[in-house]
Amino acid sequence: MSRILRNSAASATLGLLIVLLLAVLGATHFGALVLDQSAWLFWLDTPDSDMLAVSNRQILWDIRLPRVLFAALIGASLGFSGALTQALFRNPLAEPGLLGISSGAACAAALSIVFLTQSQALGGAASHWLVLPLIAFSGAVLVCLLLDGVSRRWMAGSIAGLLLTGIAINALAGAVIGLCAYTATDSQLRSLTFWTLGTLSNASWTLVTVASGLLVGVWVATLGLVQRLNALLLGENIARHVGVCLPSLRLRVVLIVAALAGFAVAFCGVIGFIGLVAPHLVRMTAGADLRRVLPLSAMGGATLLICADTLARTIAVPAEVPVGIFTALLGSSFFLWLLVRGKGRAT
Amino acid sequence: MSHRPACHLHLHETRTRVGSMDVGPFTFDIAPGERVAILGPSGAGKSSLLKLISGECTTTSGILNLMGRSLSTFGPTALSHLRAVLPQAYQNTFDMPVKLVIGLGRLGKDFDQNSDQIIRQAALLARADHLLERTTVGLSGGELARVHLARVFAQLWEARDGLLLVDEPFAAFDPGLALELSEQLEMFTRLRGHTLIAVLHDVQLALQRFDRLIMLERGQLFADCPASLKALPDLERLFGVHFLVHQIDDVLFLRATTSTRDR
Repeated sequence: MSRILRNSAASATLGLLIVLLLAVLGATHFGALVLDQSAWLFWLDTPDSDMLAVSNRQILWDIRLPRVLFAALIGASLGFSGALTQALFRNPLAEPGLLGISSGAACAAALSIVFLTQSQALGGAASHWLVLPLIAFSGAVLVCLLLDGVSRRWMAGSIAGLLLTGIAINALAGAVIGLCAYTATDSQLRSLTFWTLGTLSNASWTLVTVASGLLVGVWVATLGLVQRLNALLLGENIARHVGVCLPSLRLRVVLIVAALAGFAVAFCGVIGFIGLVAPHLVRMTAGADLRRVLPLSAMGGATLLICADTLARTIAVPAEVPVGIFTALLGSSFFLWLLVRGKGRAT
Repeated sequence: MSHRPACHLHLHETRTRVGSMDVGPFTFDIAPGERVAILGPSGAGKSSLLKLISGECTTTSGILNLMGRSLSTFGPTALSHLRAVLPQAYQNTFDMPVKLVIGLGRLGKDFDQNSDQIIRQAALLARADHLLERTTVGLSGGELARVHLARVFAQLWEARDGLLLVDEPFAAFDPGLALELSEQLEMFTRLRGHTLIAVLHDVQLALQRFDRLIMLERGQLFADCPASLKALPDLERLFGVHFLVHQIDDVLFLRATTSTRDR
């Protein structure tokens, strides 16, 4: 069965693409207001008197479509960075959230919200999609470099060591964020809560543009590295002996992962487990070849986050549940299931 | 024939440290095309010597030159064109297609047009051609070892005067396959003039198919001699056994008995 699936890689990709498109269509349909599909037909004139059609159209094009596309892009970034992290650490349980990369980014962002806004350095419209992401990115880079050092120097090859370091970083970041919340003013506190829960509610066309630019850039940067990462999956020494320059490969992948995790956190807070679940599902059906895993994980992550976000928007109408809660619910049960199945055995 | 350096591998007072064990110093030269077996009891530092030569363990002191240049001055890609390493054990956490694993041996090649054909031929040579459409998870130890053997074949396929380092390449094979693959390995290296350095357990195989024996004991060089029956006294002292020898035409039979019970 699994062999048939593998041999028809193209049809798996196609199938997932169709599912993704259906998810986008479904997600734009459902919401606080269930939309009429005629809102898509932007080339038809609607009379201004038809209030319902006009508002339908506005909701679709100004609110719901950017929201769904944003969810797709962030989901793709999370799935992609999850697959990359697992390849970098040669560990199927590695995930930016579990390893503390996301919380490192959130920690940096929280510090900047509380301490930089007080000194008025973080004003202006650009801060939301440029300054904050860059700060979050540098936090993520720091954590990545720390993890890399730990996984190589002090606890070579130990999966437990890596996950324990992640736990420690998560705890540390939690403490720092807590400290920030304690000293924050009321308005800062509201922004802070947003980091810890994870939500896609500030989706806009600007953010969609920035996120898609980032994703395309990362995609291009990764293309030349995929086969080298495949070699790394066979083991560090084998990779070195077939001609991979490990330090340069590591540094590039660390920067890519940190960019994806940092920007995702800056845009929408910590959304966990998508980066764990999507690559796992892909590997279970399509094998571990990264040439296949990376694009499929991105698509799978997009689909998963769209579904989770649609649930988050509709389950408690008119209120909105932060999507991070849903992904954590879904992801943690999946994680437990993986552990019970013995898939994440330490080697 | 292109210019051949007089000495392929040059070690002078080379030491390394693996965990808490000091290995070395080693001083020897290995000529191009030479076939060297590293022998010794378990824990004698055979794999450590191989790792020292492959650069996996850094030298703590001494000289380690490959083709007249210090090993550390080679870039990984340049090195991959003339040297391949077959480790003793493989990580098999991720489910990779066999064809990809063999093909990764050719990662350092820039424009690789015949790669599909070479992968197929390398797999054929390593008796892994029937595994090409499978993935690594679910392979037996012997099958996985053949896939990786095919990978190093693919890596050094069009190289000349290269260096092949193998760590107990036949440990996972049944006797028939071990014999067949040792012949294939010999043919592969002879055809291309590759130097072969192998860590071995099988004394008989080392005497029959190799030119030279390097014997180790407790991380030190114990003996370094041509592979012939004259090495037997050294081998007997090294392993603490007595060898019974039968030679019928070209075929050598060795049987180890405990040294205390001379028969």
